[in-house]
Amino acid sequence: MGEMFTLVCAPPLAGYEKRFGTISLTAPKDLAVVNMAIPLGGEAKALKAVKTGYGVALPEPGTSVDTKKGDARLVRLAPDQAFVIFTRAAPDAEEVVAGHVKKALYLTDQTDVWTGLEISGPGALAALERICPVDLHPAHFAVGDAARTVMEHLGVLILRTGEDSYLLLSASSSAGSFLHMLETSIENVT
Amino acid sequence: MTQVENIGTAVNFVSEEAQDRTPTSFAGQVNRVGTGLTNPGQKMSFTFNGRKMTGFGGDTLASALLANGQTLVGRSFKYHRPRGILTAGSEEPNALVELRSGAAQEPNTRATVTELFDGLMAKSQNHRGSLNFDMMAVTDFASPFLAAGFYYKTFMWPKAFWEKLYEPIIRAAAGLGSLSMQEDPDSYDKGFLHCDLLVIGAGPSGLMAALAAARSGARVILADEDFLPGGRLNAEGLEVNGAPGSMWAANTVAELASMDNVRMMTRTTVYGAYDHGVYGALERCTDHLAKSDGKPRQVLWRVYSKRAVLAAGSTERPIAFGNNDRPGIMLAGAVRTYLNRFGVVPGREMAVFTNNDDGWQTAVDLQNAGVELRAVIDSRDVDAPVHLPGVRYLRGQGIVNTIGRKGVKAVETTAGVTLPVDAVAVSGGWNPNVHLTCHQRGRPQWREEINAFVPGGVLPVGMAVAGAANGAMTLAAALAEGQAVAEAQLTDLGYRPVAADIPEAQDEPSKGAAYWHVGESRTRAWLDQQNDVTVKDVKQSFQEGFRSVEHLKRYTTLGMATDQGKTANIPALAIMSELTGKPIQDTGTTIFRPPYTPVPIGAFGGRSRGKDFRPTRLTPSHRWAEANGASFVNVGNWLRAEWYTKPGEKVWRDSVDREALATRTSVGICDVTTLGKIDIKGKDAGAFLDKVYSNTFSTLKVGRVRYGLMLREDGICYDDGTTARMDEDHYVMTTTTANAVLVYRNLEFARQCLWPNLDVHVISTTDGWAQFAVAGPKSRDLLRKVVDEGFDLSNEAFPFMACGKVTVFGGTPARLFRISFSGELAFEIAVPARFGNSMIEGLMKAGEAFDAVPYGTEALGVMRIEKGHCTANELTGQTTAHNIGLGRMVSQKKECIGNVLSRREEMIREDDVKLVGLRPVDRSLGLIAGSHFITKGEAANMANDQGWMTSVAWSPNLGHSIGLGFVKSGDARMGEVIHAVSPVHGTEMDVEIVSAHFVDPEGERLRG
Amino acid sequence: MIINHPILGPRDAAEFVYLGDASLIDRPDWQAEDAAEQFYKYGYLRDNPAGQHQELWYHEQGDRSWLVVTRNTLSHEITQVELARDVARAKGRDT
Repeated sequence: MGEMFTLVCAPPLAGYEKRFGTISLTAPKDLAVVNMAIPLGGEAKALKAVKTGYGVALPEPGTSVDTKKGDARLVRLAPDQAFVIFTRAAPDAEEVVAGHVKKALYLTDQTDVWTGLEISGPGALAALERICPVDLHPAHFAVGDAARTVMEHLGVLILRTGEDSYLLLSASSSAGSFLHMLETSIENVT
Repeated sequence: MTQVENIGTAVNFVSEEAQDRTPTSFAGQVNRVGTGLTNPGQKMSFTFNGRKMTGFGGDTLASALLANGQTLVGRSFKYHRPRGILTAGSEEPNALVELRSGAAQEPNTRATVTELFDGLMAKSQNHRGSLNFDMMAVTDFASPFLAAGFYYKTFMWPKAFWEKLYEPIIRAAAGLGSLSMQEDPDSYDKGFLHCDLLVIGAGPSGLMAALAAARSGARVILADEDFLPGGRLNAEGLEVNGAPGSMWAANTVAELASMDNVRMMTRTTVYGAYDHGVYGALERCTDHLAKSDGKPRQVLWRVYSKRAVLAAGSTERPIAFGNNDRPGIMLAGAVRTYLNRFGVVPGREMAVFTNNDDGWQTAVDLQNAGVELRAVIDSRDVDAPVHLPGVRYLRGQGIVNTIGRKGVKAVETTAGVTLPVDAVAVSGGWNPNVHLTCHQRGRPQWREEINAFVPGGVLPVGMAVAGAANGAMTLAAALAEGQAVAEAQLTDLGYRPVAADIPEAQDEPSKGAAYWHVGESRTRAWLDQQNDVTVKDVKQSFQEGFRSVEHLKRYTTLGMATDQGKTANIPALAIMSELTGKPIQDTGTTIFRPPYTPVPIGAFGGRSRGKDFRPTRLTPSHRWAEANGASFVNVGNWLRAEWYTKPGEKVWRDSVDREALATRTSVGICDVTTLGKIDIKGKDAGAFLDKVYSNTFSTLKVGRVRYGLMLREDGICYDDGTTARMDEDHYVMTTTTANAVLVYRNLEFARQCLWPNLDVHVISTTDGWAQFAVAGPKSRDLLRKVVDEGFDLSNEAFPFMACGKVTVFGGTPARLFRISFSGELAFEIAVPARFGNSMIEGLMKAGEAFDAVPYGTEALGVMRIEKGHCTANELTGQTTAHNIGLGRMVSQKKECIGNVLSRREEMIREDDVKLVGLRPVDRSLGLIAGSHFITKGEAANMANDQGWMTSVAWSPNLGHSIGLGFVKSGDARMGEVIHAVSPVHGTEMDVEIVSAHFVDPEGERLRG
Repeated sequence: MIINHPILGPRDAAEFVYLGDASLIDRPDWQAEDAAEQFYKYGYLRDNPAGQHQELWYHEQGDRSWLVVTRNTLSHEITQVELARDVARAKGRDT
């Protein structure tokens, strides 16, 4: 039995926050990620469940929306796949999403698979230019747009969260390399 | 006859006040006659071969060296001939210097494009002893023996001489400059840029193209290799809109720089044109500064363009004549550049030798600058295109020879005229810079009117060419074409170009003749000064049958090295064309490939150096392992603990033996997070797994695990692992660490391309779960302290190959699997990765009562060999299920990848190799992996080969060395003693073929 | 190279993994009488055209879709990009 020991929660970049001139880099606290897969043949039901559960329609692939209550962001990655990104400390993110969409979609907790860093401030774009092959010009990558791509050999999901801010997610096991990549990019342009 | 004034006046090379000064007013800069576009207020001190000199802001090293009267700057590659500065740009073959010192020392830097900075240190290269007295210059006198093909002919025999004699001599003598042999102290970066229109070159046509595009609202990148945009506008006295061209360029650049949709990139060379509008560009960020201050020295950009305008201008070519390589002999356009842009003259008494009108402009500018002009020599029998009062015109003549050693002192003409000079300006016409048009399938075409190749064939997608690069050789034509070409590109993209006036400028005289070398020359006439290739070498190449331009290049080394023959190629192939009697168009050019100018390897490497070569993946318990004596091993990108050293343990085996023994006698804990984990969901998940595994999974009960074997379509095994059924529509697959990415890719292939109508979804959760093997007879007891109450861990409730969702340490969700790689009673327990580091602490604490040990990959390996489990050593990509005794796991009753071809006769032969265990007959001997097996009494050769040893280990449980291996019909040879031979190690020993299951062959422990 | 993903738009080829001839979609019937012969051809025989070629690319650093890319092997011109799943269904793959 487990009373004798308490597990300590320690995500790889927890608490990271640093300013570099006009640019700041922060690891969002308690970032939860849950994958939703749309069942083959159950598309209508799934889309309806998302609409009912979150008050917004699932957006087109490559874009994202805030839920009606603003308690999560739905990011469509592929025709049959989306991420729900929200803030949640407890290790039960999958159940939280299940509470919204019931069993209309296949859910997989991805919280611990990813680690997040938000880069913001004037100059963020210049730093990202050094690593991101995707065109981040506002006309091509508006606020809310999302793309999975590769940066410095790391798979990265990049999401534009504001005019000058971007949330980047990458594999948690390589969190150190991920942080190093962004810090180097910022230092190289500031 | 045209008047001087009519072809433009050199206005910007000498200011009014400078004309009043004597040269000495530029302290020590004896050849500085004006300020040009430099900033005399910014005085720069630098050294050349230790000698202190001064220059101005805006100077290049070459202009500053010339200003200081330094015309001898280096020695040639092969003959160590004294050489000076030939050009004023990136095409420079001669003026290569070593820049900076210590680790930052960089050889082969072109002085002509090196921006002067205060404190710059430069050294000449390629000489032994001083630049003035080079001991290797003796090779020049040996030149009759060193002609084209010399190496091919001479160093072929005797063979034995190659390694001991020839190679060391050649290595010592060859090469330009020297490396510091230290690690490059600079950093480099890469980047990605996107635009509608990329304009390559900021000369007249490039500026017009960029302006037209920018005003229409398109996203524009304008890149130029120079630090001062403007191209030839900065080098000529030509006017635009009635004002100096350089001023128009500066104003245009200022307008472009003020626009949000324009990215102006100076010091940036677009070096390659790649597929689909992708260009490579090198930006030199700190090369012009004394220190980088930790910032990347250079950035290698990948530019994604929808359209591009190549406005790369043109390069002047020399005329070959006897001893035309003496310092002081310079291209006529370069003379104008030094004069007009930098206020520097290469000499005080000069001659101009030209085959075209443009060369006369140099004569005009020199005369205006007050240089003593001895004569203009024109190879053509034409009236002088400009009137130069008091200047001798040698019509229809050529220079046949020059006098001087470390600098030209006089020239002799074909008509026997001798002229004392200290510098000569030579113009053989201009070549459009077509290089980037050829980086894919373009093949230049000869245009008779300008005696030059222009872009031809299929250009890179989206590229159009404007200005001199396209054969528009005059200023007015270049300006107009820049705008027109950009407008066409923009219209193509759907933009509406804004109507704009083309600035006023003139079409300066530009007629020329196809005249390549002075045939009357009796001494060596140089074509490629960087590789010391002469007209005679080309003739010899022709005589010996190397007549195609590609052969000519390889045989003579023409056009190789850092300048890639930018000044040399066309005259040389024109001479080859004369020799073969074939038109130049048919002779063609060699194929131009990227890079246009040299790109440092460091820039291609970018940040991928040292430990940043690739990402590092850490296991969730990494910090704990570090603090507990772990040594780490690279497994792909992962770092895994290989063993944990305890105080007193001297060698790795001490630790590994202890870990393996403790696990088998009590309990051990190992982080196995690196194994691939894939969540498979959907109502057809079971049916899908049946297709990708060779055995069946749809029949697996919820709460149970099964070992699965994956085949390639050709029937070969490629991966294995356990897959657990967590729910009706939910499986958790594990893969080997190495194949996690590949298996995932193949699953996506199967579900999208092969069985697209199955409802199945896959997603990786490898990083999401910190997973630990808890193995050994006390593992259940340990886990009873970890898993929360209410979950029955007894053998009856949770037997071998069971799985389930549990909570640990008071409520944290976890997954529990009863699987065993070690062969012991064992479990794997997974918690969300954020708890991983804490989890191993909790497991160790719970294990204190049992003396639990952490174990690493080495002990893991020992135990799997003791148990006869396969890893990549056995699954080599040539292994069948039949080879490893799992032939019956390949179902023939269902559709699955690989089962059809796995039935092929050759893959199921009874006498094929089989996986067996091996132990040395003399138990004191250590087995050697890679040894081959030979039947006792037979000769050790490949004809008698019976198989090979795949894995070996010292078994602390058995007290001797054990091995796994493949032996022909091995399953039928149990007990046979066979010879294990390793010619590499020079060993052979008797080994006994035994079962691969050294420990607990009946599997009682893991089921207990 | 740039691959114009049918859903996500133009992406650098560096995000993709190349597999080869799109005929790999046409996996033979395992129960056919000459299944061994068919699988041999499927597994080992490929055309290697100098010109238009249909090939499979996997968007590994992207949405994980498999694509059928029609590319000219001489010029690298890409004339069509389709989701492999759509192609497979159109070819009548029924499970």
